[in-house]
Amino acid sequence: MKLGRIEKRKSKARRSEAVILFSVASYRLAIAAQAVEEIRNLEGLRSFHQGFGPGKVSKVKSVLERDDKIYFVIDANMHLRMLGSRPARLLLMRDVNLALSVDAIDRMAEITVLHPLPRAFRGEERNWYRGLVLIGEDVVPVLNPAALITKAELSALESVLPRSESLAAKGAASA
Amino acid sequence: MPESAKNPAIQPASSPSPSGKAQPFVLFPLGTKRFALPAGIVTELAQPDRLQPFPHTTPLLTGVLVRRGRIVPVYDIAEVLVGKNGPARKFYLIANREFDGAREWTAIPVTGECELASAEPVARTGSLPHYVTGLLSLHDEIVEIVDLERIAESGGTA
Repeated sequence: MKLGRIEKRKSKARRSEAVILFSVASYRLAIAAQAVEEIRNLEGLRSFHQGFGPGKVSKVKSVLERDDKIYFVIDANMHLRMLGSRPARLLLMRDVNLALSVDAIDRMAEITVLHPLPRAFRGEERNWYRGLVLIGEDVVPVLNPAALITKAELSALESVLPRSESLAAKGAASA
Repeated sequence: MPESAKNPAIQPASSPSPSGKAQPFVLFPLGTKRFALPAGIVTELAQPDRLQPFPHTTPLLTGVLVRRGRIVPVYDIAEVLVGKNGPARKFYLIANREFDGAREWTAIPVTGECELASAEPVARTGSLPHYVTGLLSLHDEIVEIVDLERIAESGGTA
């Protein structure tokens, strides 16, 4: 079931950006609304077995088939190296055959300042986040959608799909 | 004059400096032990604030604080200095760290009020952890001078 389609917004004169606030486990995160095509529930999700090869992308355990397209579903909690959470929503990414499973959608917000991640943070988070925003008094990391998966990982995932599904996945990516 | 010297929350201590080579240090408590940082890198001692954690993989960082509009990472070095079961941290010592030529505030949780002391550092001995850069002899107390960057290099495993 489709919950909502995210329309691309024309930029206002003041440099602002719309973000979607969502939660994973006890954390609140944000992602640019422009990077998200659609928000859905988990209906239609099916398990995706990659086997035991060295190229296994452990954060992808399921796929979503929609309109003859295959979306690889990334567990946000695994992407962010967290313990298990309870995903209930999918963020379908725009222009790529990826979806992100998250626990809940909070709301949309308009941001004008994206603070750089403090340099003291030196781990994978430098890649995970575009920066930090202040929503009221809360500091919220803004996910970098380009870092959800590498090209090599995506190729590895597509190679596991049966040929017909692989074409569908590639079709979704180029759509 | 370091900013810490102007901060009323950091109390000045009377320390002998017979040779005239004394340097200012901020002494901060972690449980029953005190450690020292060069006063020049300490900005202030801050009251407890709301720690905001988020997912990351950098050892010893526990989250961020918002202080005067700045987002300040919280760097809990107590785990390295006194072990995992240290007492509750009550204040934040705000220190300036340098990254690629740029300075950035870091909040260090401490367990009590800090003290500003002027003393001549003594060379470290070989048996001390590598993050101890020297020692201060203050009356009946020996205080280790620590280097935040070396603690960071240890990745919390020192």
